[in-house]
Amino acid sequence: MFSKKTIEQIKLETRPNSASLNSFYNNPKYRGWIYQALLAIFLIGFFYTIVSNTLANMEAQGIKSGFSFLSTSAGFDVLMTLITFETTDSYLRIFAIGILNTILVSLVGILFSTILGFIFGIAYFSPNYLIKKIATTYVEVFRNIPVILQVIFWYTIFNTLPIARESINVGDSVFLNVTGLYLPKLVGEAGSGFVYIAIFLSMISMFFVKHWARKRQEKSGQQFPVLWVCLAILVGLPTLTLLISGIPFHFDYPELKGFNFSGGITVIPEFMSLAVALSIYTGAFIAEAVRAGIQSVPQGQTEAARSLGLKESKIMSLIVVPQSMRVITPMLNSEYQSLVKNTTVATAIGYPELFTVFAGSALNQVGQAVEIMFMTLVIYFALNMTISFVMNRFNKRTELTTR
Amino acid sequence: MKIKNISLGLALVASAYAMPSFAANTLENVKKSDVLSCGVSTGLAGFSQKDEKGQWSGLDVDVCRSVAAAVLGDASKVQFKPLTAKERFLALQSGEVDILSRNTTWTHTRDTSLGLNFAGVVYYDGAGFMVNKNLGVKSALELDGANACIQAGTSTELAISDFFRENKMNYKAITFDTSDQTRAGFESGRCDFLVSDQSQLYALRIGLQKPENSIVLPEVISKEPLGPVVRQNDDEWFNIVKWSLNASIEGEYQGVTSKNVDQLKAKGNPGQKRLLGSEGDLGQKLGLSDDWAYQIIKQVGNYAESFERNVGQESPLKIKRGLNAQWNKGGILYSPAMR
Amino acid sequence: MEVKKFSPLPDQPAPITTIGPIAWIKYNLFSSFFNIVVTLLISTGLFLVVPDALDWLFFSANWSGTTQDDCVKDGACWVFISAWSKQIFYGSYPLNELWRVNTSLLLLVVIIATSFILPARLRNKVSIPAYLLLPFICLMILEGSYIGLEPVSTDLWGGFTLNVLIAAASIIIAFPLGFLWALGRQSNMPFARSVSVTCIEFFRGTPILALFFMGSVMLPLFFPADMNVDKLLRVWIILVLFMAAYMAEVFRSGFQAIPSGQYEAADSLGLGYWQKTLLIIFPQVIKVSMPNILATFVMVFKNTVFLLVIAVPEMLQVVMSALSNSNWLGGHAIEGYLFVGFTFWISCFSMSLLATSIEKKLDTSHQN
Repeated sequence: MFSKKTIEQIKLETRPNSASLNSFYNNPKYRGWIYQALLAIFLIGFFYTIVSNTLANMEAQGIKSGFSFLSTSAGFDVLMTLITFETTDSYLRIFAIGILNTILVSLVGILFSTILGFIFGIAYFSPNYLIKKIATTYVEVFRNIPVILQVIFWYTIFNTLPIARESINVGDSVFLNVTGLYLPKLVGEAGSGFVYIAIFLSMISMFFVKHWARKRQEKSGQQFPVLWVCLAILVGLPTLTLLISGIPFHFDYPELKGFNFSGGITVIPEFMSLAVALSIYTGAFIAEAVRAGIQSVPQGQTEAARSLGLKESKIMSLIVVPQSMRVITPMLNSEYQSLVKNTTVATAIGYPELFTVFAGSALNQVGQAVEIMFMTLVIYFALNMTISFVMNRFNKRTELTTR
Repeated sequence: MKIKNISLGLALVASAYAMPSFAANTLENVKKSDVLSCGVSTGLAGFSQKDEKGQWSGLDVDVCRSVAAAVLGDASKVQFKPLTAKERFLALQSGEVDILSRNTTWTHTRDTSLGLNFAGVVYYDGAGFMVNKNLGVKSALELDGANACIQAGTSTELAISDFFRENKMNYKAITFDTSDQTRAGFESGRCDFLVSDQSQLYALRIGLQKPENSIVLPEVISKEPLGPVVRQNDDEWFNIVKWSLNASIEGEYQGVTSKNVDQLKAKGNPGQKRLLGSEGDLGQKLGLSDDWAYQIIKQVGNYAESFERNVGQESPLKIKRGLNAQWNKGGILYSPAMR
Repeated sequence: MEVKKFSPLPDQPAPITTIGPIAWIKYNLFSSFFNIVVTLLISTGLFLVVPDALDWLFFSANWSGTTQDDCVKDGACWVFISAWSKQIFYGSYPLNELWRVNTSLLLLVVIIATSFILPARLRNKVSIPAYLLLPFICLMILEGSYIGLEPVSTDLWGGFTLNVLIAAASIIIAFPLGFLWALGRQSNMPFARSVSVTCIEFFRGTPILALFFMGSVMLPLFFPADMNVDKLLRVWIILVLFMAAYMAEVFRSGFQAIPSGQYEAADSLGLGYWQKTLLIIFPQVIKVSMPNILATFVMVFKNTVFLLVIAVPEMLQVVMSALSNSNWLGGHAIEGYLFVGFTFWISCFSMSLLATSIEKKLDTSHQN
């Protein structure tokens, strides 16, 4: 038997049914799963194609694979090594040398770019017209020229220094010539251990002095000349130990022997030009970040500090800069990371960092692009993650605690 | 998610724009596209260099032009692809170039393990030293403890290491990316001597502000035979490149030049006629037309012409023939018999 | 009583120590002992360096000629630059086809200009498709074979125009890709999010030099053996991915700047996800991110110089190969590098000025 149904009734009855299909698609949760499944399928297909193509191509072209090359002898010389190296040593050692050289130039670059960045960033607010203009010019000139050109430029400059026999001589102990900067090296004798202990102790006591001074200031409001006391401890204690133990040190001076200087510490011009170029280039970006950071501190803060009777220099160091760090730190993070990545421009001047010596010379001899590039990229990735981790920890401390 | 759709789209664009390469049959491929793809150096005085108008010239470049003249009948139908030292073998393996003519040293390892074949020697080179005159050095054996300027990515890097190890001496290698930087490094005194293939030493020397102040030492510490490279397993193409090179060497031996080639083709001696294709069928045996060698010599010139024009007396480099003279004139240049 | 009328003294001009050039010098240059010392040091330094530099750069420089032998004076040899200028700007692109390069550049300028001039109503409808099509149109004009012009293979493209065009083409394609990655990064789908984060962090965490190198040496291995992808195209793919990662981060900070009220308002209007994202959020994000987008473009533009390590004939690579030409072996490195540096400086500096002015414009619009 048919009961007469109006169209409306039919609609009403069928609605839940079609709605359940629709609602399955309209439910963001399910739809999300569908999209993600599609994405996963696509990615699997994508990587499967790449990997199978690569393997097929490598086999067809007779390219070896695997990491066994790492233990074979390299057979070429490396300009600067922080660990000992013979031309017969393995590619693994070349890899290590590359990493260490990259880390060294990155650390030096980070240190000096930060110093330069803060000097010029603060100089932007100087009352002296010339200083201000120079700060602006510095930022605008060095920020806008490709870093690879700057590295080449500084290398050209270092190449105009006099040759080894006509070195610039500072007190017969420091020499500067086209082959590098030669510094005397401090060599410890028996008993030097006490001095190291003294330096260590003075550092620990500095920490305690600072802690105590802050506690006292918070309690009584009295300021303690932390800086001077700390300096006194840092210089005084080791000096005293040095005198008591009979100065167990001597300098190893560089000397001109044959073609070159031997002894002492040698800083090669490739290192200097790379470090200078990276410091100046990154410094320009940091200066800009510092300027933005300082400008982000409300004018009221400075005025309040002035009305409290703080000196202008104290206002900068106690009120403005600490507050601006909140803005500056995240920018520093990315600038440091790009500095590490930019060390690769060393390939233009031959400073043996990771990219030049491992993904360059070694790759050229071995020919295993996939393995070598993989190892290289992993290292850069790890270095950047480390910087990011450290800077985020630092950022946590400077962040504004909102309640 | 459309996140990846874009990259898929890019890949599709890529495939649409990609040219298929038939690694197995290079000759057919070159004839079809009517252009020869040739891997050369990014800039090496006398061997492959671009001028202000973008025209390529050099000894290595002439090898490619010869092959193009032989195969396509037109020496200008060459597409030059500058390659860095690191890219060169992969570019050949992957089919990006049909022939690699990039001052590449013929070594056992490269010939056997890279899936490549060396088609001959264009220039017999060897690593040598250049020092500043006022150092008073007469022999490379006096260079203990000195700094060396080396161009990166050359087999010289290994040769010098062997040489110093063999003689129980020490050195510091300072490697540069380009020859211009190497020259600048040597000139500034950054290093005490410069190691490079002899052919390049002369180019580097004339670039100096005062070339007369530096001398090239007599020692040649390695064998560096430079030649064109092709892919393995394509014997037809391998033969063409090999015999194109031999044709220009034989051309010099037979006294055929670009000036007298027309005349000799008609009424030369049997050897000349065979080479130029008016007698016999040497070209057809290569899968080419019989006037292949005629085209090479007509359009590019014989070996002597190419040598003098690019690196010899007519060029700023003024390199002497030396080892690269014909075998009957004190050199070791020797083309197998053309018959 | 006698009333003494008060008559003020006539106004005195301000003492010259507080106004005018002398005061300016006093306050800006010699305000304290420290400042006096610094001012004197800087002026001495400038005095020592500037005249010699000017002399070398201009007064005793060689300006006219066509070959190296024309450089007879002690100063810079600008003849080197003028002789190679066509190569430096256009690479080996055929001389009588140069109009195609110029047309592409002109198209780029026109499209950028119209996107600023057009009324807001038309802007999204016209400019966005125009931008997205531009790289492909330029590709067809420059390559030529698809539209019946004489084909010009990519190995002939080069010089400064290559730097400009490849940077522009990369940022345009990276734009949507970066936007998608940014959306993926803040979506609530865990897998999509981790894929986006991986992509972004990978391309941000690795040096562009290494990526270019991968593009030249490793990418050919990824494609099937019978497929030979053009080198410039491989580089373009790398640049797009690299840029997309940076753009994603730019957009992420843009998203964070949008008040949550905007999302809620869109939701309450019943807009779907894509409607909400594209119609409400996207225009605002673009507006807020404009200065950062320009900064990213400047960065990638400078990074195109790194292409020289894989022998792509961009500006610096052309200069370097010119330096090793046997007719120019006189060591004109300084002139070459200075010229490249100056060209890049002019371009990047003007773009950063533009970014600053946009930033200022945005600032006032917020205050009003």
